[in-house]
Amino acid sequence: MRQNVSINVHHLTRVEGHGNIVVDVKNGKIEKMQWQVPEAPRFFEAMVRGRHYSEVARITSRICGICSIGHTLASVKATEDALGIRITPQTYKLRTIIKHAENADSHILHIYFLVAPDLFGAPSVFPLVPTHTEVVVRALRMKRTCHEWGSLLGGRTTHPNRVIPGGFAEYPTEAELKNLKQRLIDLQPDMDATVQTVLSVADKVPSFERQTEYMALSSDKEYALYDGVIQTVMPDGKKQRWPVADYKSCTNEYVVPQSTAKYTKNKMASYMAGALARFNNNYGLLHPEAKKLAEALKFKPLCFNPYMNSVAQLVEVVHSIKDSIRLLDEVLGSGYKPEDLVKPTKFGRGQGAVEVPRGILFHEYGYDDKGMCTGGNCIIPTNQNHGNIQLDLEALVPKLLAAEKDEKAIELGLEMLVRAYDPCISCSTHYLKVDFKR
Amino acid sequence: MRYIIGIGNYRMADDSIGLRIVEHIDQNGLGKGFEAVGIADEGMRLLSYLENETERIVLIDAVDLGLAAGEYRLFSPGDVQTTKVAQGLTTHEGDALKVLELARTLGYPIPPLTILGIQPGDLGPGMGLSPALQERFHTYLEIALEEVERD
Repeated sequence: MRQNVSINVHHLTRVEGHGNIVVDVKNGKIEKMQWQVPEAPRFFEAMVRGRHYSEVARITSRICGICSIGHTLASVKATEDALGIRITPQTYKLRTIIKHAENADSHILHIYFLVAPDLFGAPSVFPLVPTHTEVVVRALRMKRTCHEWGSLLGGRTTHPNRVIPGGFAEYPTEAELKNLKQRLIDLQPDMDATVQTVLSVADKVPSFERQTEYMALSSDKEYALYDGVIQTVMPDGKKQRWPVADYKSCTNEYVVPQSTAKYTKNKMASYMAGALARFNNNYGLLHPEAKKLAEALKFKPLCFNPYMNSVAQLVEVVHSIKDSIRLLDEVLGSGYKPEDLVKPTKFGRGQGAVEVPRGILFHEYGYDDKGMCTGGNCIIPTNQNHGNIQLDLEALVPKLLAAEKDEKAIELGLEMLVRAYDPCISCSTHYLKVDFKR
Repeated sequence: MRYIIGIGNYRMADDSIGLRIVEHIDQNGLGKGFEAVGIADEGMRLLSYLENETERIVLIDAVDLGLAAGEYRLFSPGDVQTTKVAQGLTTHEGDALKVLELARTLGYPIPPLTILGIQPGDLGPGMGLSPALQERFHTYLEIALEEVERD
């Protein structure tokens, strides 16, 4: 066993945002093992106070550029709950389709651009461009379809403005929906090729297991992404459900010294949210084609290997494409037409939850009798995963030490573990830094 | 088609300048003869607009030019070299120049593209622009509108 290890990964690469991994082993004893999140708080809850209900989702959609659709949906759902609005079946289906678009778009980015370099032994996607050109081109082609799929329904590339309390502000035309359906059908060859690519590197996915609790939205009628109740599955397979209104009693936020982000826990010391949590909770309701892929990968619930979260994302991409085609058929086959907004019937407090790419997302708002927001709350999935990441790292480090891995291999193993969670700590800037050529 | 594209993080003060200009164009119906697009955190979405049919792109971004806050430059990607070290193409690591480099390598058509680079004054957490950029907001807007119509 290795006696001395010092790892300090400052701002881990290929994750969305800033997180640090610090490991200190002296004379075989782990003296420090921390997943640190030095994220600045954003105070969105305060920004919505005093705003009219029609403005709130527009503000909260800016919490995250990747999950702006999910934040919009969770926000609008919470507002609709507070305002006693019951949406139409057509709105429900269109919102489910846009939710699928966001998850597929984000998953493709994560699988191809953030995880694949590890499996291909490359430091980033750039060295793969000359050696795996077709894979990179395919990934970009799929990503484009996914982002245009979301933009069509949301009205914008990011920060959708069509999804509003009571329904949609604007609708795509029937021809646009038919075209979308065809584009999703046309994704099949790329999806097949993606599966082959993943199968070719499946043996590179590290084998590590730690039993934990998995939390996801769940429903008896569908693989829940847009709607459902809170469900967890425990290591012995027992499941328990709670209404979304009870989300605080399931998340139990708390603070830790090494992180500015709040941590959460439920029945166990931590729980996992995200694609693997959804897979473990709701496997039976996946589209048959998605299940077929899982079977080909010998991937079944309950799976306790967090590295398999990326594989669960791939299974979900298949599900999202197939289920969206089904929903588009239903929408187009049942007299698709623009609908009037459903009006508020009351003003009070409400909660909304959706499954964003990284897991279950909660929003809550209160409104006074003029429809002005009196307060809000938001619990994002990445924060729900921090506690689980910490405990995974604590369990993984002794195994890597016992396996006599060198420091670099240990560091890579830990980085890959965190990347598997696809954490999104969106606090960074994107400005250019340039020198003018002379 | 012609595009004004804003890129940046809405929550990080002046990094959001491109997004706010695009939003202003959108809200005031100024998008005549072009489309205003905010791609926010995800620079890779720029690839969707690199097509043979695209006549011109004006990309608005916060750029460290070594100038005073609020000052700006119009330049093409070929005029500069990025000095940012990027490991990948996450929303945080992949800046627009990296995305364009990837696009060029993969043979994407690169239409005439001008970057309206604005020197940020504040890149910390915050939902508004610094005074230096707020004061010149309409100057940036006019420049972008003029540039996108250029032949």
